[in-house]
Formats: sequence, structure tokens, C-alpha cells
Amino acid sequence: MPVIEVERLHKRYGELTAVDEVSFAVEQGEIFGILGPNGAGKTTTVECISGLRTPDAGSVRVLGLDPVADRDELHQSVGVQLQEAGLPDKLQVREVMDLFASFYRDPADVAALLRRLGLHEKSRDRYKKLSGGQKQRLAIALALVGNPRVVVLDELTTGLDPHARRETWELVEQVRESGVTVLLVTHFMEEAERLCDRVALIDRGRVVAVDTPEGLAARGGGGQRMRFRPSAPIEDADLLALPEVATVVRRGTQIEVTGADELVSAVTALLARRQITAGSLRIEQSSLDDAFIHLTEHGKEN
Amino acid sequence: MTAVTVAAAPTARPRRRMTSRGFRALMGMHVKLMFREPGVFVMILLPVALLLVFGLIPGTKKPEVSLGGRSTLDVYVPTIAAMVPLLIACSGLPSLMASFRERNALRRFSVSPVPPGGMLAALVAVLTAFTLGGVVLIVLLGTAVFGAHMPTDLGAVISSFVLGFAAVMAVGMIAAALATSSGMAAGMGMPFMILNFFFSGLYVPTAELPHVFQTIGGYVPFGAVMDSWSGQGALWQHLAVLAGYTVVGGVVSARVFRWE
Repeated sequence: MPVIEVERLHKRYGELTAVDEVSFAVEQGEIFGILGPNGAGKTTTVECISGLRTPDAGSVRVLGLDPVADRDELHQSVGVQLQEAGLPDKLQVREVMDLFASFYRDPADVAALLRRLGLHEKSRDRYKKLSGGQKQRLAIALALVGNPRVVVLDELTTGLDPHARRETWELVEQVRESGVTVLLVTHFMEEAERLCDRVALIDRGRVVAVDTPEGLAARGGGGQRMRFRPSAPIEDADLLALPEVATVVRRGTQIEVTGADELVSAVTALLARRQITAGSLRIEQSSLDDAFIHLTEHGKEN
Repeated sequence: MTAVTVAAAPTARPRRRMTSRGFRALMGMHVKLMFREPGVFVMILLPVALLLVFGLIPGTKKPEVSLGGRSTLDVYVPTIAAMVPLLIACSGLPSLMASFRERNALRRFSVSPVPPGGMLAALVAVLTAFTLGGVVLIVLLGTAVFGAHMPTDLGAVISSFVLGFAAVMAVGMIAAALATSSGMAAGMGMPFMILNFFFSGLYVPTAELPHVFQTIGGYVPFGAVMDSWSGQGALWQHLAVLAGYTVVGGVVSARVFRWE
């Protein structure tokens, strides 16, 4: 049975439809990503899953519970890190952790958790004095303090520097290794590629695709792109004559060729037959970025 | 007293429970924060200062015929004592909760297993103890130091005072459940507080008010409290009015509670 089941979820704020028929299922022990441009309905979806919003239509089940009706029971086993959630400035890190730990029937060891998140030395610091990265780590610690079976992390690395981001990713991987199911909301492609087993791509309140990051990348038009400087002149028509080549663009002495998956081998074979070498050669496989642009309306407008 | 009422309200929905350890920890947090941001102590210091001023004016201790043989101080000690619960219920409670909401701290609690009723009840419990301390301090100062006489029927006085406090606290809880900023909290609590101040006789002794105002005063929590002290009207009727406020405020506030 899936840990999280969302079926035809619909949520409207006045005239604005934030989420329109979103469905997906998250399995035990996976890191499931919700990916999409800003304003796509990611946070609303997560807030419905966390019991903060009541869906207008459709159903949400988390560990077999209704997030709204069974809110308090749900929060015993689902840890949530929300965007823009603050704390009283004058409470110390350790005090906050002990306070939230007391709300759970089976809390985690607070000292061990703080050590794991590198906040141990900040135990006596007041919340106000923490840096952005430290506040973010404290938010993750609070999501984990109840020994949850599921954690929901909304944009957890937004505002972190690249170093802190990488550390946070390692932390999420550790959490998963301890058997916890992770629902991760992000608009960073790199984050989704690095962490997620599967990704739901959401755009304008609808699920556009659910797949592995690799599977999604392959849907993004697929294919390859190569750029090079030929050692001797070559005609566009010769390149376009190859069935694998879709487009040829020249930028000064550089040629950019795009096409199907066998593009690189076809073009290099042609160059070899002509005894032309490809200088400054760069090859790109289509990525999740391309899929994102290709599959979302956001990309089509640009 | 009030805390019990509030904690009982969420049990209408059976699954909404919080651990007793969690409730104690939440109360502990409020106590810590009160000492680190001691603005709320003004709500005791202000009435105490007022009592000191009254107590040090020589003429206030003479029995007055117009007050039925009681001295001005005798009349004002209960009124000044009533300022503490009114300030705390109408201003302290809503603005403390609103400042949590304003800083998005309630959003953080909203994804923990703490129910809205528990969130309110913990703060109400701490403020109740705080109020009790303030009222006891003022009554002791007034009677032991300045020699004021308390009303004779102590049972009616204490029961109506407790019920009156529960009633204004319950109304303050509605403001605390809804106010999204400290300013809004003040805007919601202040008119109710001034109404209660008026009918508790802070501005004008209630005995000097026109009859129609005295009747209205019976339906305002601290008007009802003062009436039951002076023996005006039926005691059971005043207590019923106060209990009505408490029940409605307790139930409504837990239902309309906003996390953000």
C-alpha cells in the first residue's frame, strides 16, 4: 500500500485554482520529488498532505489517515518542514527541540539529532542569532524530532549556499537510509536529479508527468547536442543529409548540431570519413532541465 | 478553571489530544518567554501603582455616607484588582498569541501534534496563574497595608470574580484565536476592555450611573461581577451570564483558531 496517496486533488482560493486534479502515490522508503515552476501548486499540494488545507475535492491519504480529520494523529508520524515557519526569537535551540520532542509519544534523542545536524554547539544560542542555514537545519531537525515514518520537506535548500546545500542533501539521503519515506518539494533540477527516486512534475495545478529523473529527462525531447570547431570546412547540407541530424547552427567558426540519440556517433563518423577533426568538442545529453522546459507551460511561453 | 474549560473543548473531536508532557512543556515555554520579554508585567505593575497612589492619599480611608459607610479605598480595591484580569484577558492574551502568529511561529506548531485548544489552553493557564498572583498582591496590599475592608460575603465575591475572569478570558481567547497581528489584537480586545473598565466602576462609581446603564452593566462580565459584590440583582443571574460568556468563548475560540 502506498504511504501517501493523492487522488484528483482540487484546491481553489477564491477565483484562483491552485491545484487542479493532482494524483500521485508515494511508496514506502522512496524519496519522491514534487517538481515544478513557482506558483505551480506545489506548496498547496504539500499543505493539503500535511493537513493545513482542506481540499475542495479529491482525496488525500497519508499512512491510511485523512490529514484534516486525523490531523493530530497524522503529525505523530509525519514530520513536516514548511516554508516560512518561524519560532519565538528568544528561545534557545535546545529549548525548542525539547519542547517539540515533548509533543510526541515516541520522540527522537534530541542531543543525538542536534549532533547529526551539526547544531550541537548552537544548543544554547537563541533562535534569532542563527544563520539562515542553521535555521533551515533546525527546521529539518524539528521535522525529524518525532521519529516520523514520513517527512515532508518544502523547498528545504532554498536560500542555502552551495556548500550547505550539499550537506543538506547528504542529510536527506541519511534520513532515507534510516527507512523514512521522503516527500521533497523543489524547483532545483539538480536537487531532484541527485536525490529523488521518482518525480512528479507539476505545472499550473496539474501533474504533467510522473517518472524517474532519468525517465523524465529522456522525455524532454530526448536526443543530444554537440558543438565543435571543424579543422576543415564542412557544408550544412552534408550534416543535414545525415538522418540523425535535426538542426545545424553556426556561430562564427563553431557549429552546433542537435538531433537524435545516435547523433554523436553519426556526426563523428562523417567527420572521420572526411578526415576532419572536431576541435573544442562539447556534447550534452538532454537533461531534466530540458524536460522541465519542454513539459511545462512556463517553458513554452519563453 | 478556564484552562479546564478550554482543554475540554477539543475533546468534542476525539482524536485531537496532546501529551500532558507536551502541555507542561508548552506552559514552560510561555513562562520563559514572559521573563525574557517582560512587557506583560506592566499589567500587574500598573494597577499596583494606581493602588499605591490611592492608598497614599489621606482622605481615601475615611468612611463616606454616600458610599454606604464604606471608604473610597474600600470601593476602589476590588475595581483596581479587576484591572489585572481585564488587562491580561483583553490585551495580554490576544497580543501574545498574535505575536506568535505574526512571526509565523504558529505555522511551525501547526504541523506538530498540538491541537488549537491545547495551544490556547497552555497560554491561558500560564496567564491565569499570573493573574491570580497579581490579584492576590493587590488585595493583600489594599487590606494589610492600607487597611481597606473587603466585602463581607466572601463566597459570592470569590465565585463571581473567578467566573468573571473566566468570562473575559474566554472573550480574549476569541481575539487570540483570530488576531493576525498585535495591532489587530489590540483593536479587538481594547473596546471590550474599556467597556468592562467602565462597568467595573474604574471611571465612575457604578452606583452613580443612570438606571438603564446599571441594567446593561449586569450583562457585561465585570459589571455582573461588581453587581454580585454590591448585592444588586439576583446572584444566580449574574453567575449565569458569566458562565455563558465562558462556554461560548471557549468553544468558539478552539473552532475558529487560525494558525497563520
